[in-house]
Amino acid sequence: MFETNLTLEQFAEGIQDTLYMVGMSLLIGTLLGSMIGIVIVVTKKDGIIPIPIIYTLLNPIINMVRSIPFIILMVAIIPFTRMIIGTSIGTNAAIIPLIIYITPFIARLVENSLLEVGPGIIEAAESMGATPLQMIRYFILPEAFSSLILSLTTATITLIGATAMAGTVGGGGIGDIAIVYGYQRFDSFAMISTVILLVIIVQVIQSTGNRLARIVRHR
Amino acid sequence: MIELRNIHKTYQKRSKSIQALKGIDLKVEQGDIFGVIGYSGAGKSTLVRLVNYLEQPTEGKIIVDGRSLTEQSSKALREIKKDIGMIFQHFNLLESKTIYQNVAMPLIISKVPKQDIKRRVTELLEFVGLSDKVMSYPNELSGGQKQRVGIARALALNPKILLCDEATSALDPQTTQSILNLLKRINREYGITILLITHEMSVIQSICNRVAVMENGKIIEEGTVLDVFGDPKHPTTQDFVQTVVRTDIPRNIKANLDKSGITTLTKLEMVGDHATQPLLALLIQKFNLTVSTVFTNMTEIQETTLAIWYVDIQGEAKDKAAALDFLDSQGVRYQEVSV
Repeated sequence: MFETNLTLEQFAEGIQDTLYMVGMSLLIGTLLGSMIGIVIVVTKKDGIIPIPIIYTLLNPIINMVRSIPFIILMVAIIPFTRMIIGTSIGTNAAIIPLIIYITPFIARLVENSLLEVGPGIIEAAESMGATPLQMIRYFILPEAFSSLILSLTTATITLIGATAMAGTVGGGGIGDIAIVYGYQRFDSFAMISTVILLVIIVQVIQSTGNRLARIVRHR
Repeated sequence: MIELRNIHKTYQKRSKSIQALKGIDLKVEQGDIFGVIGYSGAGKSTLVRLVNYLEQPTEGKIIVDGRSLTEQSSKALREIKKDIGMIFQHFNLLESKTIYQNVAMPLIISKVPKQDIKRRVTELLEFVGLSDKVMSYPNELSGGQKQRVGIARALALNPKILLCDEATSALDPQTTQSILNLLKRINREYGITILLITHEMSVIQSICNRVAVMENGKIIEEGTVLDVFGDPKHPTTQDFVQTVVRTDIPRNIKANLDKSGITTLTKLEMVGDHATQPLLALLIQKFNLTVSTVFTNMTEIQETTLAIWYVDIQGEAKDKAAALDFLDSQGVRYQEVSV
């Protein structure tokens, strides 16, 4: 059972690739997703800068992208990926579909987190004569911060799952090892060890997220 | 200071339209502590939110400190709002920020320099008695302390008006009293005009000088607190007044009256010094009448005493008439009431 063709270096490289893909797509996805999330919250009919047309446009786009399973999305946008990265194979090429996949997901999570901020807080901000931008910066974002951390934790874990599928386009990473060695070559050791590793990574991320959220919450 | 002219407010909920305010006229003078009382759904919450334009009227005019709110740009409105502080039933503090940061927030928004913010916040927290809580978070505080933070925050920009939206409704009676005392101090020391809404008549009784009673989006009665408490006209007002001043005759006393065949009593209403003068003794001596007290109630309002006496006056008709004239000349309101 412990016979394996997997070397330690390959394993280390797999971890590195996974972290790289998750890190890059999380960073860019968070920037884009948070922006979109904020925009849809404030432009809602009863939002602080009501521009219903923006909301009405963005909302179905988010739903549309979110309804495509990652593995299909990845293949479907190969021409687009090739246009940007120059190739559709490899770790960097995997990042493009990951970003497209995670951005609307984060936008939705951010939307939910921001909507948790009570109307009383908005009212207090309004009564002080805060501008809409000040309301977002000084009231809504700080009050939603704890919830945003939990949202991003969820997004990170979702991304780790998606990177495993990126293995099918030669994206590399832990998931790639599990498929190529564990599944295709019947290497049980590779399979079990990658699964254990993924479990540990997810646990660590979730508990770190929970702890951070608790620290900033002050409740 | 605050003037509402023929204010109508209609909400559109789905296809139904709800009339929250139906023609409100109200005037709050500089230095007033003006109370608006009503049951929930009367429209008082909407009314107070019109004054700092958290709600826009469907019709009518709002004039605050000489400026008509309905004709302002949103930028100008934001500046006007800085002259109007507001405190809330549920405090609406930022839970993610310290007490210091909460109180500093209006100053940060107005781009006040950092050193000035520090000085002002320290001063405000001292005024509300929370100097030791600077670095605490709202959730480490009691309800009363949270409201004090709310008050400090509302005062940060030296407003001319303070709006209180059920500010004591979530507090226990003792804490309520200390918050009310603080509001009174704010009114006296800083000359800030206060407009408060409440459903508790005791709040009106302890700090307001004027009161308006609301029902179904209308003001049904308005006047000085002494007048309204002494002689409430509308049944709803009477109900409210009853909660703090018993102006009707208790049932068991009524039963006794029925037994002894007494059908009419004289209700005397005395304010201030009269309430403590030996008027009844005078009636007996001067006018040769038999005066027996059936029921009395004394209440402190506006730092004067309001006394309500139900007396049974027996004697010659002309003596009685002379006695009532005498009471009238003493500024005592009287009224024959059938039991």
